[in-house]
Amino acid sequence: MITLQFAGVNALFALAVYASLWTGVLSLAPVFFGAVSAFTFGYFAGTLGMTPLLGLLLGAALGAALGAVTAGLLIRLDSHYLAMATIAMVLIGRVLILNLPEQTGGASGTLVPGDLGTWAWLIGTLLVAAYLMARLAGSRFGLAADAVREDPAVAETLAISPRRIQFVGMVISGVLGGAAGILQSSFLRYIGPDTFYTHLGFVTLAAVVLGGAFHWLGPIVGAVVFTILPELLREPMGEYDRVVTGVLLVVIIIYMPRGLVDVRRLRLVRSGWWRRDGPAPGGPDQGEPTAARAEVAP
Amino acid sequence: MSELAVDIVGLTKAFGGLTAVDDVTIQVPPRRIHGILGPNGAGKTTVLNMVSGFIQADSGRLDVLGQDVTGMRPFQIARRGVGRTYQNIRLFPGMTVLETVVAGAYGQRRSTIAGALLMSPAERRERREMRARAADLLDRVGCRAPHSALAETLSYGDQRRVEIARALATNPRVLLLDEPTAGMNDAESQEVGQLLVELRESGLTLILIEHNMRLVEDFCETVSVMNSGALLAEGAPTWCLEQDKVKEAYFGKRSDAARIATLRRARRGPGGS
Repeated sequence: MITLQFAGVNALFALAVYASLWTGVLSLAPVFFGAVSAFTFGYFAGTLGMTPLLGLLLGAALGAALGAVTAGLLIRLDSHYLAMATIAMVLIGRVLILNLPEQTGGASGTLVPGDLGTWAWLIGTLLVAAYLMARLAGSRFGLAADAVREDPAVAETLAISPRRIQFVGMVISGVLGGAAGILQSSFLRYIGPDTFYTHLGFVTLAAVVLGGAFHWLGPIVGAVVFTILPELLREPMGEYDRVVTGVLLVVIIIYMPRGLVDVRRLRLVRSGWWRRDGPAPGGPDQGEPTAARAEVAP
Repeated sequence: MSELAVDIVGLTKAFGGLTAVDDVTIQVPPRRIHGILGPNGAGKTTVLNMVSGFIQADSGRLDVLGQDVTGMRPFQIARRGVGRTYQNIRLFPGMTVLETVVAGAYGQRRSTIAGALLMSPAERRERREMRARAADLLDRVGCRAPHSALAETLSYGDQRRVEIARALATNPRVLLLDEPTAGMNDAESQEVGQLLVELRESGLTLILIEHNMRLVEDFCETVSVMNSGALLAEGAPTWCLEQDKVKEAYFGKRSDAARIATLRRARRGPGGS
């Protein structure tokens, strides 16, 4: 059961990574957003006492603010330099935690109230996040984000400003990452310098790649599979479970480059079905972009 | 303030040591179908790329619809009413035909993220309207493929039509078309020609790069002929195509032709029958 709960939190982190990847920005910054919101929550919950809902909302707001600042500073970078800069943010986060012992507890970490570490809060937050992503998917922003990821240069000639779209994506990523950090800390009840570190970043990134980075369901499916699978393998495989999950990841990247949830493939299948049975003209295969051909009347 | 829809003055662009476009001036009044002709590598697409802001000119001035857009980003130029298509079709992989065209309407929409998240009636109405408008545009350009198909799976001709519909969705006043009939047969090309006339009637200014001379002579009112980055001739298409220097650019010099003929005869000589 605890594994499933971590799958849920990882799904939130994976959705945060997806939110910026949607606009063509590969970023591990959600891990940093989560760390900052979790330690801030720990500090204020310890000193002031804070209702759970307020804590969650403040975490999301803090994440949004951090996302905006990050975007303002880093969006100008080219794709892989930007990705490296966000990895650097995760590393800097750990240094900050270690060097602010007054606020974070330093190397020994800090305790966090567990009010939010329940199924109700987790599923509620996930449902809200999934709803937000689903609403955005076909919206003005959603289609612009698709366009910017697929071809930023062409998107720009459609009056879309890629920087602006990527800024918004980073803010949404911040909201989700901040909320995920609060839930994570509340489940663990204890957070330290290694709680929000590169391991979490790579697990969530793997979840997005595995699940599919082209639909909001992908990161959720990926996080659940990628968190539960190692647990199931641990019994029969012993310490080789990581090898198996690693190989599985490589196989999926090679044979399902768009992940488990692949909308494009579904649509290809559907177009194929239409071509065989639909009301369309017969004649040569329309799937091949061949040279000119006369129009066949319907 | 000029009266011209597109006013290109002394535009120059060099890639390394190669001057792709050399001091080119092209002036197109509103509601005109203007062709840019020339052999491969003449710099036609580079001119189009500079007008849409895709690449920045080294020097020269660019006015669109009376506004100086020199040095602006492509999305700023697009907002000022310039739409375009691409020589090598550039549709978004993974998007359906309808989504592609709706994505083009980004600048025409007013809804916000908050509206989308809260399912506001205005946002939902806008979604419906945009889909209906996209369907109309697809009809208008003659795309008969199903709207739910992946755009990348369509035939060559339909992909070009979807690209035109996507450009029209930005509600442009100047439309730049880079070889809109490449890969189409004669009947399809004539349909595109008819579409150009309809668009001109509705107030658009069209600039197209085209190799189909019949289409150019039938539908372009004026043309600019380029060769090796420089402007060779401009005026009515039939007049331009009769100029000796234009013929030379396309078919080589008369003396070259004579020399090649002599070489052919010489090669055929010993081994021939």
